Parts: sequence; structure tokens; C-alpha cells
Amino acid sequence: MHRDEIPPGTLYLLILKTLARAGEMHGYEIADSIQRTSDHVLQVEEGSLYPALQRMLIKGWVKAKWGTTAGSRRARYYQLTASGRKQLETELSQFERVIGAITRVIQTA
Amino acid sequence: MDWLNEIRRRLWMLIRHRQFNMDLEDEMRLHLELKAQELVRAGLTPEDARYAALRRFGNTTLLKEKSHMAWGWEWLEHLVQDMNYGVRAMLRSPGITIVALLSLALGIGANTAIFNLIDALMLRALPVKEPGRLLLFGDASDCCISDYFPNQVLYSYPFYREMQQKNQVFSQVAAVFSMMNRVHGSLEGRSETEPMNVQLVSGTYFPMLGVQAVAGRVLTDDDDRMRDGNPVAVVSYSWWTRGLARDSSVLNKKLKIGAAVFSIVGVAPKEFFGTKVGESPDIWIPLSMQKEVLPSVDGYNDNFSESLYLMGRLKPGMNTALAAANVNLLFQQILRGFPGAPLSQENMEKLAKTRVELTPMATGLSELRRQFSEPLKILMIVVGFVLMIACANIANLLLARSAARGRELAVRQALGAGRRRLIRQLLTESLVLAFAGGVLGVALAAGASRLLLRMVSGGPEALPLDVSMNIRLLLFTLGVTVVTGVLFGTIPALCATSLQLAGSLKEGRGTVTAGARNPLAKALVVSQIAFSLVLLVGAGLFLHSLMNLMNVDTGFNREHVLRLQTDASSVGYKEDNVHLTRLYAEIEEAVSALPSVRAASYSLFTYNEGSWNNPVSVKGYVSADSHRDVHHNVVGTDYFATMGIPLLEGRGFGPQDTADSPRVAVIDETMAHTMFPKGSPIGRHYSRGGDRDIEVIGVVKDVKVNSLQEDPQPIDYYPYAQHSRYLNDFEVRYSGNLDAVADAVRQRIHEVSPYLPISNVTTLDEQVERSIGNQRLVAQLSTFFGLLAVFLSCIGIYGVMSYVVTRRTNEIGIRMALGAPRSTMLWMVLREILILATSGLLIGVPAALAGDRLVSNMLFGLKPIDPVTLVSATIVLLMVAAIAGYLPARRASRVDPMFALRCE
Repeated sequence: MHRDEIPPGTLYLLILKTLARAGEMHGYEIADSIQRTSDHVLQVEEGSLYPALQRMLIKGWVKAKWGTTAGSRRARYYQLTASGRKQLETELSQFERVIGAITRVIQTA
Repeated sequence: MDWLNEIRRRLWMLIRHRQFNMDLEDEMRLHLELKAQELVRAGLTPEDARYAALRRFGNTTLLKEKSHMAWGWEWLEHLVQDMNYGVRAMLRSPGITIVALLSLALGIGANTAIFNLIDALMLRALPVKEPGRLLLFGDASDCCISDYFPNQVLYSYPFYREMQQKNQVFSQVAAVFSMMNRVHGSLEGRSETEPMNVQLVSGTYFPMLGVQAVAGRVLTDDDDRMRDGNPVAVVSYSWWTRGLARDSSVLNKKLKIGAAVFSIVGVAPKEFFGTKVGESPDIWIPLSMQKEVLPSVDGYNDNFSESLYLMGRLKPGMNTALAAANVNLLFQQILRGFPGAPLSQENMEKLAKTRVELTPMATGLSELRRQFSEPLKILMIVVGFVLMIACANIANLLLARSAARGRELAVRQALGAGRRRLIRQLLTESLVLAFAGGVLGVALAAGASRLLLRMVSGGPEALPLDVSMNIRLLLFTLGVTVVTGVLFGTIPALCATSLQLAGSLKEGRGTVTAGARNPLAKALVVSQIAFSLVLLVGAGLFLHSLMNLMNVDTGFNREHVLRLQTDASSVGYKEDNVHLTRLYAEIEEAVSALPSVRAASYSLFTYNEGSWNNPVSVKGYVSADSHRDVHHNVVGTDYFATMGIPLLEGRGFGPQDTADSPRVAVIDETMAHTMFPKGSPIGRHYSRGGDRDIEVIGVVKDVKVNSLQEDPQPIDYYPYAQHSRYLNDFEVRYSGNLDAVADAVRQRIHEVSPYLPISNVTTLDEQVERSIGNQRLVAQLSTFFGLLAVFLSCIGIYGVMSYVVTRRTNEIGIRMALGAPRSTMLWMVLREILILATSGLLIGVPAALAGDRLVSNMLFGLKPIDPVTLVSATIVLLMVAAIAGYLPARRASRVDPMFALRCE
């Protein structure tokens, strides 16, 4: 199966969107969800999720609380905040603008 | 407020960083385990699954570090690390550290102390409401009481009232008597009097300044409406503390001054010292009560008794230019409108030309400022130079050290440390050093400020200036510290990190490296010598000038004269009264009878106590000025004998000069030459104001009136028998022990008049010394700092040359092995030092000559280019450089060739 690295700068967008859909997830679930939803095309270097999550915590886009998993393990669950939702919208529209532009360039060819 | 929340979160992470790290580890471990479980389910062996999970996850250590960096505290952690390292580095070479810290502490301490005084004297704003809106009429360059027309510095009380009511530009105008007065008063109920400093002010003074009382009330305009009408006083916080131990019943107390009894109505705030920096009145009394406080002054209703400074607070929206226009219009109108204004043709012309300047007075008035601002500025430059020399020294020491650390730094760079990171670390190390020096400097400055204040004060009591440490000062020191740290740290850090890596690593120790031939270290030494020369030359000039001043002929004999002051007004004597004259005569007689006393006399002035001067006119004397200002003194019969002023012609005063006999005067040479140019002045007549006809009976030698620098002044002397007025100065020419004589004199005075207050006991010599206090201050301090500079440069030369010799041990060993004699080695090192010193001097001499021009108006009896000073400073520096260099040079000549070669 061919796997693609995620385009640079979109990791935040992916995490935000995933959390927006699922409500509450821990790190493994987020990585897993991104892979599943993309039909295993998008490959997150799983470790890089964590520095990104730390940055998002500081920015206040997500908040975290400790809970237990189905297998009754201690895990940190992340949740979107109001400012995270706003950020998601910004990133989405930015992404669409960029993709739209790229598409136009490619199709005119 | 997003960024605020972000900072809050970041801080939280900093505080709980251990918890956050553990959480992160937990999270990552969970991830890996879940991943492994998934892979096991997909069919891998547990072992393979774990490795696969790890591979997919990436470098955990790196990721942890990245997460950690996301918190944004990296810089702080590096700072703490670097500081730790810096402290350890300092402790590793205690010799260098101690020298560096001491020179820094001295440099920073001296800068802080001088700046402290400058701040207290010149920069600090008055502790009143919006001091920036206050304006002074004129520049307060004159003082006391004048009848000059038109006067734009001193004003009469009626003028103040007119101005206060008619102006449209000030929200309030206030007046303050142009001098603080020392009187003797007592708390009602206490018998002994105490000296008190009284400041007479208008009732509008406190309201205009916006100063409130801490207890009771301040003076108001109502206290000042009726002549002699409101005997009230506001006391200062410090007098309240000193005199009454902060007794809360202060407002029920009464003060007796002369015959008047004043009710204390309020206490001024602690920080309020009036409007004149360097003076702190004990009590403030309304101008309406001036006659009660100063019986000889009665200007409340006199249009032309000019004794007040005027100040106003600008109305909102008003500016200085508009205010000046209004004030000058009124100035002309009011003076012309006074009945009896001396409106002669000449005076009208003068009035038309006179303009009142409005000066900002946010920092208050000060005579001290006039006197000391220039010396303090020069000292500030001097200590600035000293600090630069200290910086150069430390830069050199660090340069030597970092060259010695070359290998360490090279290894670090080879292991991947970035150059910027290394520079940052070296700079942090220098800043640690600078801050340690700064802390020591502040401690030093606290003591030095007090010492400096003592030196500036000159008298037995320190001036009331606040020189305690404050935030402003600490900020100044912080600034100086950071600048010095960067100054002495940057160059060594840049040099140390720009090493040729491979070369440094290959080389062992003891060979010649970049450091040994470092031109930078030598440039620093050269600049040190140049700076030192400038300072030495300056110190030499000031010393020379001071010596010239001390050799000035004062005209009187300053040795063996005791001087004290008595205050006859406070024990009920009146002016223009035979009792007063008799009191003075009796005291003179009683004291003269003491065996150790040769002569004694009362006088209005002795030396440097201000003067009473106004024009006199001689019949038939015509010159550019038909009048000429003459200094007057009123003296006792034995004044000339007491002061040791030689009589040149005619006679002195005697018993024949009484209140009823014709008015007589003794004049000095200058007055004789200028006003009686032809023939002997004896028997000639002149007039002065009220005294229409004065006969000259004698001529005495010129004396200095107010300063040693002044040109000869015209002076005339009147006998007090013919001028019954308060005389406060009493002089005694004595032989033997001063203290014994002072006690005996005091006792005799009290035998004549038991309650007559005696104060300010000193000697004439002391008075003369005090008048050159600032020259002495500058000479002493510049000499001290000049020597300090030379000493620091000495250390610099020694340090650099020792280092050079150590680094060249090898080369020296080879040369000696090849047959070079020891003396050649000695000379080789000494020659290098002399070249350095000479280049420093070549730069320093022109710099010193340029600098001398700046101080030329502070020098007395010297041309700014004083060859003696220049040559001696040069010789001193050359000798010092040779001595500092001799030790390393001798070490070079004692190198054992075998040992040196084996070192390789």
C-alpha cells in the first residue's frame, strides 16, 4: 500500500478537524483516526503529533484532561475549545484557498 | 486577552514542568503500547510489534525535546545553565575574578555615587503637584534685599500682590523670601533657645505648590493679608520629629521667636523641603510676619524693598511664551504705577530694556547647583573614564582567559555547538561578572555618596540632600552594569569563537597561538594608557590650580582668628539703639581682656558671607558710571587689628568716632585708586544713600570679599558706633589653644549677656577653606581617580605582559638555547611595553590638551596648556608602565631553556 506524508502545515488542520468530528480523543486515537479516515493514505509520523498537541495546548486551541480508556488505561483526552473552533475555520478556508489555487494552476495546463 | 492567557499557560507549564514532562512520557508510552497491541493483532510477534511501533513513532527523545521547546522556556533554561557555568568559571580563576570585581565595583560605585549627587542636586523634580507647570520669575541669580531699579530677579511684596491679582496666565502666584533665615527661637514653656531655619513665604505658597499638611493645615492666603496680623507657622516634618518627637499635640504648641509668639498650625509632608534644593527650613512663616522674624526687615508695604522670588503655576492650556508676554506687560505697568517710582530718564531707559525671563523650576532653585554643577559634570566624565579603563582591563583578562580556553571552545564547536550559542554563553559569563561587580558597586556607592555629600557640604553639618538609594539610581546602575558587561564581554567572545578549529585542536599548549600576538589586547592597553594620561593631566591641573588658590593673598591674616556668631535680636535688642552698641562694646572689651586674646571686634561680615553693596558718589569723580558699587562693612574699633589688615594711610577708628561726631569711613586701596585718583583720599568726602557726607579717615589694604578668585573690590568700612545695626559676626585674634580660647570667649560673652545665643563657632582659616570647597573637591577626587586609573592600567599592563611572556616561554627558551643573553630577553619584553606606553601617550597628549580646554574656566592662575603638568604626567606614566612590565620581563629573562623546551 502506498502511503503519503501529510503536506507540511496541515497537521494542525487535521488534528483540529478530527477533534471537531469526534469531540474527545487521546493521542493514539487521533493518529489512528487520521489514518483510517484517509483510507490509510495519509501517514502521520505518529510521534510528531505530540509536539503539535503541546503547541496547540499553549495556543489554547485544545484543552486536555486525564481519563481512562476502554482498556482502563490512563490517557490524556483532548477537546476543542472555542478558539480552536475558530482556528479550524481559519485553517480550513486558508487550505481551501490554497488547494483551489493549486487546482486551477494544474487544470489550466 | 489571548496572549495574556497564553502567557498564563506558559508560566503554568514552567512552574509544573516536572509534571508536564511526566504526563508527556505517559502519553507517549500509552501510544506505543496501543500501537504494539494493534500490530500483534495484525499478526506480528510482540517483539517485532514493539520495534515496528517505535519505528513508526520516530525519535522519542527528539520529540520530547520538541514538545518541551514548544513551551518557550528554552532561553531561560540556557540562561540558568550559562549563569551556573559563569559562576563556576569565575570561581576557577579567583585571582582574575577578584581583580575584575574590585575594579568593576570601584568603577560602578564611583559612577553611581557621582550620579546620585547629580540626581539629587540637579535632576530630581520637586515633590509637589505637577512640578513641570511651575515657572520662576527671573533666574534667582541674586539674593537678599535690593533697592535696584528695575529688578527682574528680586521683587517687592506690593509687586507680588499686584502681579498675583492682575495676571491672566497663572492659576496662582506665590512669593518666597530670597534667603532662609537662621533665628533663635524656643518652644513656649522651654527656657533654652535653639537655632531654627525660618523660611518666609506668601500665603499662596503652599496652595500654589499643591502641598497638603500631614497634620493640621498649611498656610493660606488669609494668613498673609494683614501686616503683623497672623502669628502662625507650619513646621517641617523633620523638625517635628527632632524637636517634638512627633508629638501629636504639636498643633497646640507655640513658638517664641524674639518677642513674637507663633502658633503652630500644621506639619508639612516628610518629603517636602521647600523649593530650594540643599536647604531645608524648619518652619514656614507668612511674609506678613517678616518684621517679627527679622526685625531689621520690614518690606511688607515697601514698593521698592526687593527681597522676594516670585513663582507661578501655569493655568491649564497656557504656555511659557504666552505667560512671559503677560508678565512683562504687567512688569512695566506695575513698576511705573508705583507712587514714588524713581522714573528718571536713565531709569526709564533701563526699565524699557528690562525683560523678565520665566525659568522652569520643576527641579527647584539652588545656589548649590550653580556652584557644583560644573565640578560634578567633570567628575562624572572622570569616573566614566575610570570605568572605561576598568572595562578595558577586564576585557583583557577575559581575552587572556578565553585564549587559554581556546581548546575547550574548539572542542565544543567541533561537537556541534553553534557559534551564536557559544557567544551567548561567553556574554552571559561576562554579564554575571558585571552584575556581581554592580552589586558590590551599589554597596560601595551607598557609602561613597554619603562621603561625597560630606565633602560637598564643607561644613560640620551635611547638606540636607537625599542621597539614599532609590529606584532611579538602581536603574542607572543597572544600565551602567549591562553596558560595561557587554563592552568588556563582546570583543573577547567574538575573538574566542572565531578560532580556526582544526588549528586549535591540533596545537598543544604552550605554543604561540593567535592570542599571544593578539593586537587587540595591546590596543586595549594603549587606550588605557591614553585615558590614564588624560585623567592624570586633569588631576595635575586641578591640584596646581588649588595650590595657586591656597597661595592667594587674602589681604587679611587668616591664621589664629576665631569667628563666631551671636544673635542680639533674639534677646530683645533693637537696632538704632544705644543699648545694642553698648552690648557690642562691652563684649569686645570683656573678651579682649582675656590673656590669650590679642584683639576682638564685631563686624557685619568677615569673608565669603555675602555683602551689602550699593553705589556711592564722590564729588568731582566722573567716570563711565558716575556711581560705583562699593561693598560696605560695619566694624568695631579693633577690626583691622583683629583681622590683620594693614593700615596704609591715615588712621583707623577710635573713641572719637561716636554717634554724634561727623560720619567717617576707612576705604581700601582699590576704592582709593579708582574713586580718588588724584592725591591722598584722606580728608576727602563722599556720599552713600542716606549718609550724605562721609569723610575718609584712612586707607587699608585690599581684602577678598566673597571668593579667592575675585578681582580687587572697592570696599569701605564704617564704625558701628555710627551705624547701630545688628552685627552677627564676632572675631577674636588669639594665641594658644583654639578650644580653650573658644570656651573662654563663650564664657566672657555670657558673663556680659547670659542668654545671648552663640552659634557657628569656627575659624577664619576654615571660612577661607570652605570658600574653595568645590575646587578642593574636584582636585581631591580627580587625583584619587587619576591614581586609580594609573593603578588599573598598571594591572592591565602587568596582566597582558605576563600572559605574553607565558605564551612565548617556548620561543624565549629557543632563543636562549641559541645563545641569546638574558639581558636581551629582558630588553625584548621591556621594549614592547615601552612601545605600548609611548603609543598610548602619543594618543593621550592631544586628547588631554583638548580636554583641558573644556575645564579651563575652572582653573585659577593657570593656562590650560600647563607644560609642567603634562610633562610630569607623562613621566609618571612611563615609569609606572616600566615598573608594571618589569616583573614579567624579569620572568622572561629567567626562563630555563631546558625547561621551556621540555614544555613542548
